[in-house]
Amino acid sequence: MFISLQLLHMSVFSQSFSPCGRFLAAGNNYGEIAVFSLSAALSPDASEASQKPILNFTAHDGPVFSLLSTDTHLLSAGNGEISAWSWAELIKKVRISCSVNDNSLIVGGGDNNIHIMDMETGIFKSVLKGHTDYIHCLCFKEREEEILSGGEDGAVRIWDARTNRPVHCIEVFKYEECARPQFGKWISCLATDSDWMLCGGGPSLSLWHLRSMSPTSVFPLPGCQREAVFYQDLIMSVGEGPHVSHCLHGGTVKAQIPCTPSSLNTLALNLKNSEHRVMTVGGSSHQIDVFTNFSYRAFSLSF
Amino acid sequence: MSSDAVKKRKPKVIRSEAGAPETKRGRAEGDQDVRVYNEEVELEVRDPQQDYMLYKDTCAALAKLMEEIQELKAGGAKVQSVEIEERRTQCSVHFITLKKLNRLAHMRLKKGRDQTHEAKQRVDVLHLQLQNLLYEVMHLQKEIGKCLEFRSQHEEIELVSEEEFFQEAPAEISRPHVTRDDQHQLTLARLDWELEQRKRLAEQYKMSLARKEKIQKAIEQKREYLSSLQPGLQNIMQASLPVQEYLAIPFEHMQKQAEVARHLPPPLYVLLVQAGAYGQACDKNLSVSISGDVDEAKALSRPPEDSQDDESDSDAEEEQQNTKRRRATLGVQLDDKRKEMLRRHPLSLCVDLKCKDGSVLHLFFYYLMNLNILTVKTKVSTTTDLSGAVSAGELLNSESLLNCLYASDHGKETPNPANRYQFDKVGITTFGDYVSDLGHPFVWVQKLGGLQFSSGGAQSGLTGSALSASHMERTMKLLRGRLQARLALHKQFSSLEHSIIPVSSECQHLFPAKVVSGLVRWTTMSCQEFTELGFVQHVLKAGLVHETDLFFMATVERGTARLRAAVVMNPRYPEVAPLFSLSLHWKGERSGRTDDNLQAMESEVNVFRSELQGPRPGLQLLTNQIQRLCVCLDVYLETESQVCDGSEGPKEFPREKMCLRTARGPSRLKPFKYNHPQGFFSHR
Repeated sequence: MFISLQLLHMSVFSQSFSPCGRFLAAGNNYGEIAVFSLSAALSPDASEASQKPILNFTAHDGPVFSLLSTDTHLLSAGNGEISAWSWAELIKKVRISCSVNDNSLIVGGGDNNIHIMDMETGIFKSVLKGHTDYIHCLCFKEREEEILSGGEDGAVRIWDARTNRPVHCIEVFKYEECARPQFGKWISCLATDSDWMLCGGGPSLSLWHLRSMSPTSVFPLPGCQREAVFYQDLIMSVGEGPHVSHCLHGGTVKAQIPCTPSSLNTLALNLKNSEHRVMTVGGSSHQIDVFTNFSYRAFSLSF
Repeated sequence: MSSDAVKKRKPKVIRSEAGAPETKRGRAEGDQDVRVYNEEVELEVRDPQQDYMLYKDTCAALAKLMEEIQELKAGGAKVQSVEIEERRTQCSVHFITLKKLNRLAHMRLKKGRDQTHEAKQRVDVLHLQLQNLLYEVMHLQKEIGKCLEFRSQHEEIELVSEEEFFQEAPAEISRPHVTRDDQHQLTLARLDWELEQRKRLAEQYKMSLARKEKIQKAIEQKREYLSSLQPGLQNIMQASLPVQEYLAIPFEHMQKQAEVARHLPPPLYVLLVQAGAYGQACDKNLSVSISGDVDEAKALSRPPEDSQDDESDSDAEEEQQNTKRRRATLGVQLDDKRKEMLRRHPLSLCVDLKCKDGSVLHLFFYYLMNLNILTVKTKVSTTTDLSGAVSAGELLNSESLLNCLYASDHGKETPNPANRYQFDKVGITTFGDYVSDLGHPFVWVQKLGGLQFSSGGAQSGLTGSALSASHMERTMKLLRGRLQARLALHKQFSSLEHSIIPVSSECQHLFPAKVVSGLVRWTTMSCQEFTELGFVQHVLKAGLVHETDLFFMATVERGTARLRAAVVMNPRYPEVAPLFSLSLHWKGERSGRTDDNLQAMESEVNVFRSELQGPRPGLQLLTNQIQRLCVCLDVYLETESQVCDGSEGPKEFPREKMCLRTARGPSRLKPFKYNHPQGFFSHR
């Protein structure tokens, strides 16, 4: 009875695919991480059992707000701590936490700062200060090695990764096209694709051209968007409202695909594995919708 | 004729001669020289043949003479001629001769007759003698026969066998030297011995009788003595009752109960014993008593008629009657059969559970004989009057008070699978119809009575008293807990209906000092109404709602905002927490499905309930939940204003709560968690 109560009140906040693309890790508001086997769920003889996690463990005290996969590890961020889990061990349904990598990890936290950590040694290399409120989202432009961050204070800041200095600061809510004062000014989603940037949250989801630092299109989506990604020539975003919105660069909303959760927190695309190329969305429900064809929901994984 | 007279005279004379020779002599003297003429003597001399020839000759001579006379007369002779006279005298002589011959013949005949008669008489006499003798012979033969057949009574007497006799009998009686040879003597001896033995035994018998009489008298005396004691003992018992009560040893009461308990059916007896034992050992506030009609129970203890046989008989009767009578009879008979099947044993147990505050839960246990199940009915009596809470009407309803004491134990269906077949016979489709009458057949009641029915679940190997004992403690605790929970709820409800949320001092730390939102309404709902609400569908889909649950609607208001909470309360409160579903009406309609923050509030109340339990046994869960709801609504409303920075106008709800941060996470949830004693709100 209590489990079903929990399930009733569960929200999925983050997802991440494994490096091989065959597994999906999802984190919920109770601090649990569940690992699902996509290959089992997508196989022709999938049953109800294959839609349940192969591994479910409590990672943090508070909700798991973000999950990130490196080549070998799954990093999960909870209330003030980051844990790294080895994918190899997770697949074997054992969990140990350790961290081995030669990349750096960029962490944006509730203390309004961005921290860059060396994964190999675990030492924080540098801190990027500038935001006045906590940071919702981060993304990285590899080509120019720039970090973009969006936060509760409504500003999108662009930082140079090499010098760790702020380059630009865009206050989205100041732009009339995007601003939606009834919702607030916070930016909860960021995505970049070479010169383009998507950002949304309190203000409407808008596509920005980075060189000119101006919004080129504003998407008329009713709710606050919480996550948006570029995919081929589409923009997919999720947020308040039980649907995934497909939008075109021009600013039109092409489709809104209905989903189970009543509002969505996270969207993930499994591009690493061509066999299991799916999109998964999670939100304020214990079910994670899986889209094999991005136009409609195929089935749901359940915690 | 003179000749006749003469003849007559003469035989007289002759005859009397033999008898009275003297008279004959006299006559002979009278007649001088009268020749004694004894014709009888002459008779012997004469030869009958000669007489016959003489007769013929005389007849012939007479005839001839007659002829001559005739001739002479014809010849014209005179009548008085000498010849005729001569012939006439000759004829007369011949006539005399004829007469004589006639006389002789008569005399011969007579003589012959006499002789014959005499001979005959002699023969008769002999014959008689012969017959007498024969008769006597026969008689004697019979007698002999009888004698031979005579069974002497002595043969009916069973005598000891000869060997025994010779062994046991003293020599003077047995006299072996004589008796060995002589059967008669042997028998006599044996009879003697028998007689003597019998005499001896008779003596013994008399003595024994006498002794018995004496002992009997002694017994009588002692009995009288005892019965004289009885009233004295009664007095002592009566006098000791107050002492018993004082010392709390209800000895006599228990004895009386044990007496009646003998007539209880086995499951009730098991229950009585176990409950009494538990009450004595662990729980002083539990008491058991027996009620009902003892005489009827005694009457039932004769072998019960097999109801199945009865039914087959009456079935046959029914078929016959159907053709003659109306259908109504069939229905009445079926009704009677049903009543018979559902018959209760006349004795029932009453178990009283007292709680600390004085309220008592009365449980009445009945045994349905033909169905072999126990049922229970309840009654609650409280020290204070419990009226006043409209919404609490269902709480102490005896029908639903004991619902789901153990999970999914509804008490609507009989737990005995065999009853299905019995019901089919009399056309009972659901036992649930009769439950209000007969009581609820919960599974735990059967277990307390030691009845175990295979129901597909895991079975322990216990039966009877062991089964009852293993369940007794837990069930009694559950029962008491249930009563206390319901009573507490009752009190809480009456306060909730007055828009006061009773928060006890132990739970004050869970909430901030100032709570502005207030409860304005608390009502019950029916299951139907609940399922029609729009914002509870997720609960229904998750299967968390059952028919046995209680449904309520709480309305919390602050300013223009109105929060409606639909509450689903499981009968097993507070083990199972009530489930809240929220719908907020403020600048539009929002529910837990559409608004993440409302869902977070729901989870505050539903999922993190263990904080809200309060002191054991956690009876304050509901009121704490409602209070927390008010607190969360406060936070929600006050922090909502933060969102719209650019809006003009006064905020409806000024920020009063201390929050570390008003939004967190992608869904930007509000801080609903209250931290004591610092008094600020944070996220979980």
